[in-house]
Amino acid sequence: MSGTREQVFPTRMTLGLMKTKLKGANQGYSLLKRKSEALTKRFRDITKRIDDAKQKMGRVMQTAAFSLAEVSYATGENIGYQVQESVYNARFKVKARQENVSGVYLPQFEAYIDSSINDFKLTGLGRGGQQVQRAKEIYSKAVETLVELASLQTAFIILDEVIKVTNRRVNAIEHVIIPRTENTIAYINSELDELDREEFYRLKKVQEKKQIETARIDEEMKQAKLAEQNGNNDTDLGDEKLSSEQNSETQGVAATPKGSPSADLIQEQEDDVIF
Amino acid sequence: MEGVYFNIDNGYIEGIVRGYRNGLLTGNQYINLTQCETLEDLKLQLSSTDYGNFLSSVPPESLTTSVIQEQASDKLYQEFNYIRDQSSGITKTFLDYITYGYMIDNVALMITGTIHDRDKAEILPRCHPLGWFDTLPTLTVATDLESLYETVLVDTPLAPYFRDCFNRADELDDLNIEIIRNKLYKAYLQDFYNFVSRKTDEPAREIMQTLLGFEADRRSINISLNSLQSADIDPELKGELMPDLGQLYPVATSQLAQASEFEAVSAAVNSVYEYRGILESGNLEDHLYKLEMELCRDAFTQQFTVSTIWSWMKSKEQEVRNITWIAECIAQNQRERINNYISVY
Amino acid sequence: MSEKRTLLAAITDEDTTTGLLLAGVGQITPETEDKNFFVFQDGKTTKEQIAQAFDKFTSERDDIAILLINQHIAELIRSHVDNFTNAFPAILEIPSKDHPYDPEKDSVLKRVRRLFGE
Repeated sequence: MSGTREQVFPTRMTLGLMKTKLKGANQGYSLLKRKSEALTKRFRDITKRIDDAKQKMGRVMQTAAFSLAEVSYATGENIGYQVQESVYNARFKVKARQENVSGVYLPQFEAYIDSSINDFKLTGLGRGGQQVQRAKEIYSKAVETLVELASLQTAFIILDEVIKVTNRRVNAIEHVIIPRTENTIAYINSELDELDREEFYRLKKVQEKKQIETARIDEEMKQAKLAEQNGNNDTDLGDEKLSSEQNSETQGVAATPKGSPSADLIQEQEDDVIF
Repeated sequence: MEGVYFNIDNGYIEGIVRGYRNGLLTGNQYINLTQCETLEDLKLQLSSTDYGNFLSSVPPESLTTSVIQEQASDKLYQEFNYIRDQSSGITKTFLDYITYGYMIDNVALMITGTIHDRDKAEILPRCHPLGWFDTLPTLTVATDLESLYETVLVDTPLAPYFRDCFNRADELDDLNIEIIRNKLYKAYLQDFYNFVSRKTDEPAREIMQTLLGFEADRRSINISLNSLQSADIDPELKGELMPDLGQLYPVATSQLAQASEFEAVSAAVNSVYEYRGILESGNLEDHLYKLEMELCRDAFTQQFTVSTIWSWMKSKEQEVRNITWIAECIAQNQRERINNYISVY
Repeated sequence: MSEKRTLLAAITDEDTTTGLLLAGVGQITPETEDKNFFVFQDGKTTKEQIAQAFDKFTSERDDIAILLINQHIAELIRSHVDNFTNAFPAILEIPSKDHPYDPEKDSVLKRVRRLFGE
């Protein structure tokens, strides 16, 4: 688990940073998740409509193709070439409008017919003009259906892309960023705990060392006192001892310059040593 | 009496044409065709008719309505060319006159292609085979009507028609082409009419006058109706496009030229007994085809006349349209409209 | 970027082209004589020509919003169509007279199905 944590120094400040980061990630995750859900809902809706529209297109185009059959029945010839050569300007154009779905701009094509342009005014003048007119209307309708379908399809492609990206982000946050941040936090915590324990142990050790030292000094002081009392009684006995005792005493006083509490402590321990 | 001499030159041709006429699909055969489920069935049904195995070289997967139409038309062209090869004298001229109509379409097509700098090889296959003439491919050299006329068209039979239709040396454009086409057609119909009036005997004369008159009326009605929406064709121009013959001429024709709304067109058309009510219900084109076919059918009741060739030709064209229509309905699954064909035999 | 795209383009067979042009989608750019439609002729048009037209409408021209293509033609250059995943221009496969629409082949619908794991 420790492999997926970030490379940081385990300090309290980093811990704070990481906690903020985790909070942000969680918030981002829930927001993105909601966005993705909204988009997916829309997406499914569009997909269904595309399916319907495509079926509809099949029917519409068939009707349209049939109107062309009527034209060729009426004119008795193929007007295709004539039509191709009469083309100059598009009468039928599209305008793109944009629709905002959860922050994604989806284009909507709108059919736009410039009625001032008519390239086929006289097509079929001598024969079949009405069929041509009818075919024109039917095909205009058919192309409108196609435009509608194209909007849906473009929306589909864009949404598909956006949903993929969003889902990638959601997944990244859910499965990478959040666990990693959590791991980092755990790591920092464990490191900090470790430091605490070390610190505590160190303090204990120092204290222990100190106690041993104090005990020794106490012992010496006691010895010195005893020697003094004995010296009053028996001066020969403690000459050498006295001189070394005086040295240690000065040392002990230097090591514990604090006032009476330590003296009390010493007093208490004195008893222990006596017994 | 003239019947005796008729057979010297045309007996064989008339025999052939009447044979062809008997090969035209009958009402029963059409009913059989409409029962077909697929184009393959249709092909099978057609093979028991005069069409025989005209589709046998087409593999089933590429059998489409356009292929059927193409092949059926090809058969028509072959038959027509056979008759033309057998003809002589007035009859030959008469047959040539029939092809002029297709030539006009071809010339219009070539001019369209020329304006847009299209490749000749691209346009030529689209030309109508019956309207083919030797200098057709050279039409593309022209850039304006004047030079077109002087370099190429002057050698074709269409030359006299062209002479009348460009008093203004306009630059060619798409609007003009449609107008030129209709002007040419008008001149052609009138010339044809004069030809049959002067050169042919009864009963061919009378029958052809009726048939050509009908063709003229059809064009006049269509032009008037189809130009209602386009404001840049004034009544005077419309008058120039409408042939000066037929039952509508002169009173109804001038009314049609003046007409600026549907009611006026309808009133003008209704003034002629034969055409009464054709704009009221159904499809104009269907009514007209029906009338044409009835005229053609009646034309066969007369003997010793070249008009049977025209009648057969028109009937056959209608037949190809009918077959195409039925095939289209089958292929596109529009069975409710399948009975829209026109059968008079 | 989509404001400039106002035209429809077509890679279609003759009949479909005629219909679409009648509806008024056709435009010939005055300066370049460039058409926004490409007529497919059965037996004559090669795959390379279709692919070229496809690339032209999808990549080179920036005024095309929707590209209409007959499904049976798209079928010929399927890999091209499948690989084109941009949002613009929108590619729409449409039926033709002789080839009814088959949803199974549609590049976009195939993506729909894949997404829903069908």
